[in-house]
Amino acid sequence: MKIMKKINMITAFLAVSCLLIVSLTFNSCAPTKAVADKSGAQLWAENCQRCHNTPAPSSFGPEQWETIGMHMQTRSLITEKERDKIVDFLKGSR
Amino acid sequence: MYWFILLVAVNFNKLSAQNTVTFDSTVLDRINALENAVNSNRPGNDHFMVVGLTTFGYTSSSNNNTIGGVSTITKANSLADANHYEFSPMFLWRHGKKFLMEFEPSFSNNGLGVNWADISYFAAPNLILRAGYFVLPFGTYAKREAAGWIDKLGTDPMGITALPSTDYGVEAEGGLALGSMKMNYDVALTNGMQLNADGTLAGGNIVDNNNNRTVTARLGLLPFSNSSLELGVSGMFGKVGTPGTNTDGATGNMYALDLNYVKQVNSVLVNIKGQYNIMSVSDVNYINPFDATKTYTFRNHSTAGFIQCSLRPTGVDNFLKNFEIAGRYTSYNAPGHSTWGADQHTVTLGLDYWLSWRTVVKATYDTYQGTSTASQALNAYTGLTTTNTFSLQVSIQL
Repeated sequence: MKIMKKINMITAFLAVSCLLIVSLTFNSCAPTKAVADKSGAQLWAENCQRCHNTPAPSSFGPEQWETIGMHMQTRSLITEKERDKIVDFLKGSR
Repeated sequence: MYWFILLVAVNFNKLSAQNTVTFDSTVLDRINALENAVNSNRPGNDHFMVVGLTTFGYTSSSNNNTIGGVSTITKANSLADANHYEFSPMFLWRHGKKFLMEFEPSFSNNGLGVNWADISYFAAPNLILRAGYFVLPFGTYAKREAAGWIDKLGTDPMGITALPSTDYGVEAEGGLALGSMKMNYDVALTNGMQLNADGTLAGGNIVDNNNNRTVTARLGLLPFSNSSLELGVSGMFGKVGTPGTNTDGATGNMYALDLNYVKQVNSVLVNIKGQYNIMSVSDVNYINPFDATKTYTFRNHSTAGFIQCSLRPTGVDNFLKNFEIAGRYTSYNAPGHSTWGADQHTVTLGLDYWLSWRTVVKATYDTYQGTSTASQALNAYTGLTTTNTFSLQVSIQL
C-alpha cells in the first residue's frame, strides 16, 4: 500500500512535468507586450542579480559575452530571447 | 640636352613610383596579416575562454561534545580547510551558437577533482540538450548558489550538500515565456546514486551499479513579470541498491522545494533564498559494522533545509554600498538509529565586503548544535555537540 502510494506520487509528478514541458515547448505561451518589449538593459538588471552581482559590460569582450550568455542560459534558464537581448546590450555598451 | 634630362627625370619617376607601389603593397600585406593575427588572439575575440573561481581563507572553531555527562572541548584553526579552499578554473568553448562545452576541474581538500564536464546542444529556443558529467537539477543551491563568489556566507548549508550533486547522464532543460510569468524545466536521466554500507548515499559513478537509471527533474515558476521571485519543485527517483548485495532493490525517492527572491527595496537589495530537501531510501537490512553475521535496520529518512536572507545597501552613494550582511538558519535531521543519526541546527551570520562585482571578503560565524540520534547498540551515539566556527574567506570569480 505504501509502495503503491509512492509509485502514484512519482507517476503523477512525472506525468504533470512531461505534460507541462511538452505542451509549453511546442505551444509556448507568448509573453505579454510589456514583457516582450523589455530592453536588454532591463533584463540584464533583473536577471543577473537573481544569483550574483550584475557584471559591468566592460568585464568581458564581445565574443566572450556570447559564450557567457550561453553558459548563463544553461544555469539560470532564461529564455533564448532574453539571453540574446542581454548579450546584445552588454556587447553594445562596452 | 633638355630632352635628355626630361627623359631621365621621367624614367626616374616611373622607377621610383614602381618601387613605391611594390614597397607599399608588401608592407600593407604584412600589416594586414599582423592585424589578423593580433585580432584572433585579442581577449574577447575568441570562442574559447577560461573563467573559474578561487576561494581561500582562515577558519577557527571551538567544539564542545557532551556524552554521558562528560564534556570534551577541542579547538582548531587552519589557513585552509575542505570548506575554505578551492581553485577551479572553468573552460568554456562554444561552436557557433549551437554547442557549448563546459569543463571545470577543481583542486580542493588536497585533491584534484572535476566539478562538471559536459556538452550542451542548443536545440531550440526553449530546449537545451546536455550530455556528460553535470550538476543535477535537484533544488537550486548546487547549480546556482554554491560558488564562493556567489554564496553570501562562507559555509555551505549542511544537509543540502550531503546529497551528491553531480552525475553522468543526459539532460534536457529550457526556459519558457508564460504571459507575464516565466517557467523553466530541467529533466535529467543519470546513472544514479549508490547506497553505502551505512545507509548514506554516494555520488553517481561512470559505471552504473545497477541496471536502473535515475530520473531527476525540476520545475521552476517565476510568477512576477520582473523575475524577482522563483519557486521550484524537484524530484529524484531511482534504484540506489547494488544487485547481489544486501542493498539489492533499494530505491531512493527525494523531493526538494526551493525559493529565490531578489528585489531592490528603496536603497537596499533584499536577497532571500531557501531550499528544503526530503530524502528517503527504502528499508534495507544493513550489515552490522561490528559483526558481519548480523544486520540492523532503520528508517532511512532525512530532511534538510535552510532559509537565508542578505541585505546590501546598493542604492547609497558611499562605501557602505560595498557591505552586505547575511543570516541563515539551517536544519538537518539525519535518520535515527543509524550510525550517523542526528538532529542538527545551525545559525550562521555573515558580513561581506565586495571589492568588485566578483570579488568578496566574507567574515562568517556559525553556531552549530547537534543532538545525536544514532544507534547506541551500534556504539554510534555521540551525545550533544555544539560548535562555534569563525571563518574569514576571500572568493574571486576569475
